[in-house]
Amino acid sequence: MIWEVFRQERPGEYHAHCGNVHAPDRELARQFAAIQHGRRKPTNSLWVVPRDEIGEIDAEDVAFGGTTDKSYRWATTYSTAGADASEVAESEDDQADAEQRRGES
Amino acid sequence: MNLETVRARAGPRAFSPADDLPEEYREAATRMIEFHANSEIMGAYLERPFIRQAPSIDRKLAYSAKVQDEIGHGQLLYRAAESLGVKSREEMLEDLANGDGKFLNCFHYPMESWVETPMIAFFVDGAAMRRQATLRRTSWEPYAHAMDKVCFEEGFHVKHGEDILRELMTGSRKERRLTQEAFETWWPRIIQFFGPTDDRSTHHDFAVSVGLKQRSNDELRNAFLDQYIPKARNYGLEIPDEPRIREREDGTYEVEEGDLDWDEFFTVAKNEYEPGREQIRGRRTAQEAVQWVREAIERDGAAGSHAPRAAD
Ligand SMILES: [Fe+2]
Ligand SMILES: [Fe+2]
Repeated sequence: MIWEVFRQERPGEYHAHCGNVHAPDRELARQFAAIQHGRRKPTNSLWVVPRDEIGEIDAEDVAFGGTTDKSYRWATTYSTAGADASEVAESEDDQADAEQRRGES
Repeated sequence: MNLETVRARAGPRAFSPADDLPEEYREAATRMIEFHANSEIMGAYLERPFIRQAPSIDRKLAYSAKVQDEIGHGQLLYRAAESLGVKSREEMLEDLANGDGKFLNCFHYPMESWVETPMIAFFVDGAAMRRQATLRRTSWEPYAHAMDKVCFEEGFHVKHGEDILRELMTGSRKERRLTQEAFETWWPRIIQFFGPTDDRSTHHDFAVSVGLKQRSNDELRNAFLDQYIPKARNYGLEIPDEPRIREREDGTYEVEEGDLDWDEFFTVAKNEYEPGREQIRGRRTAQEAVQWVREAIERDGAAGSHAPRAAD
């Protein structure tokens, strides 16, 4: 049985997929994951999930974000006057970044 | 973990569902996040009619995307609240429907005209974002993670709201006058968004001591005024004489709190303000009207026969 492994480096961070292990049950999956994925890289916590339990939807199945122009959904579309609050500016920068990376892929 | 340990370890994103946390922490966090989740939902219901009333197709699209986002924020936050193990999502939604669930003061007031929309979509979303940005460092990790996504999206709401304000304030004389009037109606409520000063706010000290809250009500309110008074003036809005606002020597602002109607605020907070009760009833009616949709989804979900299709 295959278990997908998600590692969190430090408390409060996100668990990110980092690989998988073979194991007959959850307990051994936890042990194997600790050995294979928690030994060298900084690790605060690992999640193990049976691969069969993971549902997937990918870019072949669906056009993520739609196929029509949705620029109205981005902060970058709106021109306003004067300095924005720092958190608004940060959100806009993050959106510009996401928009650009979507365009590249 | 006992409360002392929680206080000692309280830091940004310090606690997760893997931790064994005392009842006091879990209850306080549930109360706070449930309030936040309810507010997202009630805000969305307040704004929803303006999808229909939007003056152009662009505004209609943007408004509907925004309302959709807010419902999504509500869902995210119910998950974050539910992960504390105190209350289920169903219980929270049930409480919101029957009038026990509490939510933001601004969403208890009816909104009738398009000129009012920037009061919510610019000023209230702007105020919310001031607070939410600080909550990315709350001690309950699922809450902080929800704030990451919410803050990413909110920039669009605030900018779009500001764009509506800009359009209205560069429009006809009548539009400018009506927008100014709407601003005068909403301004005290917007300032009260942050609640009373901390020594009068019941749950503040505990929430700060366990890291749930990062900044005090006063600090947030002042930070809001510093940022949004210049914005309002920039678009030609005049700040009402009441509540009195003092400008400090360094150019920052402070509000004369006694000028605000706190009796009304606390009536609103207890869900005893009649227009607010109407908002609650309105949402409950809408919720009941689409019960058949939820049932159909549950029936269909069990059959699982549909090709995947993401809402775009
Ligand atoms: Fe929101
Ligand atoms: Fe928003």
